[in-house]
Amino acid sequence: MLYRRIAECVLVFILCIIALVYLVPFLWTAASALRPAGPMYSYANPLTLETFIPKNPTLQNFFHIFTKQRFGRAMFNSLFVGTSVVALGLLVNSMAGFAFAKFDFPLKNLFFALVLLTFMVPFESIVIPLYVVVQRMGISNTYSALILPAIANGMAIFLFRQFFADIPTELLEAARVDGASWARVFFQFLLPLSKPALVSVMIMLFLFNWNALFWPLVAVHSSDLEVVQVAVTTHVAQEETHWANLFSSAFAASLPPMLLFLFLQRYFVRGISGTGLK
Amino acid sequence: MKKKGNTFLMLLVLMVFCTVIGSASASAVELEVVWMGWPRDRVITLIEQFETENPDIKVDIQLIPFSQLFSTLEVRLPTGTTPDVYIVDGPVTASYAARGYLLPLDEFYSDQELAEWFPSSIESGSYDGKLYSIPYATSSAALYYNKELFDKVGYPLPPSDPDERWTWEDVATAAVEIQKALHDMGDTDVWGLLIEQIDRPYQLLPLAQSLGAEVIGSNGLEVDGCINSPTFVEAATFYWRLFNELKVSPQGVDDSAVAREYFGTGKAAMMLGAEWNLVRLSKSFPELQFGVSPHPYFENGVPVTPTGSWHVGVNSRTEHTEAAVRFVKYMTGFDASLLWHQLHGHSPARMDVYKALPEVFDTDEWGVFLYEMEHTAKTRPATPGYLEYELILRETFNEIHYGADPQEALNNAVRRIQREFRKYR
Amino acid sequence: MFKEKSTPLLFLAPAIVLLVIFKLFPIGVALWESFRFTPISQESIFVGLENYEFLFRDDPVFWNSLLVTLKYNLIINPLNVVVALALALLLNRSRPYVPFFRSLYFLPSAISYTVVAVVWGVMLDPYYGLVNSLLAKLGFSAQPFFSSPSQSLGSLVFVGLWRSVGYWMMFYLAGLQNIPKTVYEAADIDGASKWQQIWKITLPLLSRTTAFVLVSSISFNFLTFAPVFILTKGGPRGATNVLMYESYKSAFVNIDMGRATAISSILLVIIIAISFISLRLNKAEYEY
Repeated sequence: MLYRRIAECVLVFILCIIALVYLVPFLWTAASALRPAGPMYSYANPLTLETFIPKNPTLQNFFHIFTKQRFGRAMFNSLFVGTSVVALGLLVNSMAGFAFAKFDFPLKNLFFALVLLTFMVPFESIVIPLYVVVQRMGISNTYSALILPAIANGMAIFLFRQFFADIPTELLEAARVDGASWARVFFQFLLPLSKPALVSVMIMLFLFNWNALFWPLVAVHSSDLEVVQVAVTTHVAQEETHWANLFSSAFAASLPPMLLFLFLQRYFVRGISGTGLK
Repeated sequence: MKKKGNTFLMLLVLMVFCTVIGSASASAVELEVVWMGWPRDRVITLIEQFETENPDIKVDIQLIPFSQLFSTLEVRLPTGTTPDVYIVDGPVTASYAARGYLLPLDEFYSDQELAEWFPSSIESGSYDGKLYSIPYATSSAALYYNKELFDKVGYPLPPSDPDERWTWEDVATAAVEIQKALHDMGDTDVWGLLIEQIDRPYQLLPLAQSLGAEVIGSNGLEVDGCINSPTFVEAATFYWRLFNELKVSPQGVDDSAVAREYFGTGKAAMMLGAEWNLVRLSKSFPELQFGVSPHPYFENGVPVTPTGSWHVGVNSRTEHTEAAVRFVKYMTGFDASLLWHQLHGHSPARMDVYKALPEVFDTDEWGVFLYEMEHTAKTRPATPGYLEYELILRETFNEIHYGADPQEALNNAVRRIQREFRKYR
Repeated sequence: MFKEKSTPLLFLAPAIVLLVIFKLFPIGVALWESFRFTPISQESIFVGLENYEFLFRDDPVFWNSLLVTLKYNLIINPLNVVVALALALLLNRSRPYVPFFRSLYFLPSAISYTVVAVVWGVMLDPYYGLVNSLLAKLGFSAQPFFSSPSQSLGSLVFVGLWRSVGYWMMFYLAGLQNIPKTVYEAADIDGASKWQQIWKITLPLLSRTTAFVLVSSISFNFLTFAPVFILTKGGPRGATNVLMYESYKSAFVNIDMGRATAISSILLVIIIAISFISLRLNKAEYEY
């Protein structure tokens, strides 16, 4: 028992050390977001208490980006695109993952190889033909231009396949024998067993879109459709970097994915999501 | 299950709804404009004024962050009819014009109108005898110095009279001596000389040009014998010495904002920098005592300074030529140039704005920049391959400042640029 | 495995249709482009393997880039997997402090790579950065980080790990949920130590997750671009000039699609080869 206590203390100590590497940049970013606009390095060198705790904290930077630079609109756009992609993407990709994990069909390996291929090619090399496609479809400068290309995702299909493969086939066979349709097998038996996979794909797809910068710039031009990363990156210009606005917008921009993770991480705790089936 | 279905349906409806809003437009002409990612509130002030004066035109302006601007235009310009109007980096005019992305604008401007701009700006907006982009702003560079640091070590201040300007040799000596004196006094983290844009041809070509080096062949597509000529190499070697032998300039400071903050917080005695620092230094570092001295030159050469900045162009495929030209005329006109200067501190490319704001420009500091713009400014080379030329030369200057052998690095640059230029031949 | 004809295709159809339109067709165009040369304002012409030949024969920049890319990936991918797995194992328990650490380690993945790069660029500033002032407080001398040819690649690996390890950790946490509790209970009865259980049970049962994380991390890191673009521009002296950055410059600055797509095709071949090997090494040997 004592041995276990000590082991746990050591563990927590290690976790705290790693946590420092994570915390320092965050504390500093947060402090910079709360400082009035001005220089940056003067607070980093030499190191003082003021590096991390601003003397006169203010919310004026946040106020500025939300009232003067339409940051709220950008947040809404990204949230809207993100949730649409997640909703449609979970369905489409999990179905494909199911087909690959539990069925044998002709050319399966070729199909699977093609799926893997889709995330091994850099986006920058396909952006020009992709833009032409989107224009021909007549959806450039609409939400659809941001949503449709992002729904099917090779990496998500791959993850679903790996995860579903680990779920016992007999379970599904039993359901089939009981007369369930394939749709029922999938929605009522397989998916409820796959919450951790659904959660991680949800986060994956959301982040993919939340952090997109180049495609939104190309695909939509209307300022009503501006997405969050564009709004953040705009503060780094050639002749000046507006540190206060940059950090406050980066800070605000990292909140939604962070909350999403916080909210969903209970599905990663063994036992709570236990299905009792194994 | 039912609840989930409803949410999904609502999402779909919302999606369709937003798409409809996005594409709906009134009877007015809608201009699609691509602009630099300057702060939205400042840009919008100009746009709103334009829309008030031109109620029949609606402007949909897209602000693109600087780092993504050129690549976004590369994707969008080859296809479709939009953007109608877009911001063009002055020296890139030739590149877009050669590829047919810009509408010639000569017929919309009289000689009298064109006379309002600096001749160098008009030159940089022209290609093959035609005018393709209208100057939106311009720029210049000079030597900023920190009065306090100079006084602290008792070193004579650099002159403000262009006829007495320092040579590069003077600057190097001053940098070495001031840095050494400060180090002896215990200020070990102060540099002699900062270069604001450490690897940009904009900042560094004038060094070579001061020695008389040609930076590109007369046809705009030949660099062999120019950027690897003995005089060019001599200038590059001087640059190399600043970082690697004299060690008065810090390696790896390649961001304007960072360089300015170093200088603004007293970490450097001098900075070779653009005019846009004037406003920003006085605003962000009110305690800083600084002065501006004319751009240095080489002892056996002539003074040459960089110039040029953003221009505005019309897409050759636009379906709204008349409205687009009206927008360009407004944005580059007297009122908007003046307002933009007040909002963002860019130096206007129009001479009438300088005359209209004597309280701003009638200072010693601005006097230096204005002198350079009128007398020593040289535009960057006019070549359809400017994008390639700049990138490769930029990487080369970067290598040199990190210690690469100048002759060898420049020979490599020639090889690489020549290969990229073959598509124009 | 079920053997049916139409059912799997129905499940597959939506994804395949979308992938063909938005991914596979553009990829095909890009591959096609790599065999062509496009003079300005003229039709492009078929040049066969010329773009590839040039890269391998006369392009020292490409060779350096290839080496840098391989070096970067050889370091970062194994580290990614090991650290992510270790964190997941440490944090796969219900203790009150666990959610805090899990969220903290995950947090950087929520921030765009662009912002992460800008923040670390300032933190690791060679002269007046926060890390150097910390080092000074601790009595160490200042380090050049991104402005030294010998440290810049390592610094890039660090920033890459900092940003992504928590993300890969998440997939391991998900994978761990799939291991039946009963397996451990049986092992406890047999008297196996915790270490033995990790090596003999957890790791083998996680092999599908590891395969996923490895292949995804390899693709992700071979295509690393944003931090190089923002922090080093490939420098100093080519030390961080990864292939993806080289390809980007060719495509969007040098307007040389042939070279750009030839480089990304070579990247694709490398990624496929390495992914194939890691899938083989991680082949799951169990079946439920």
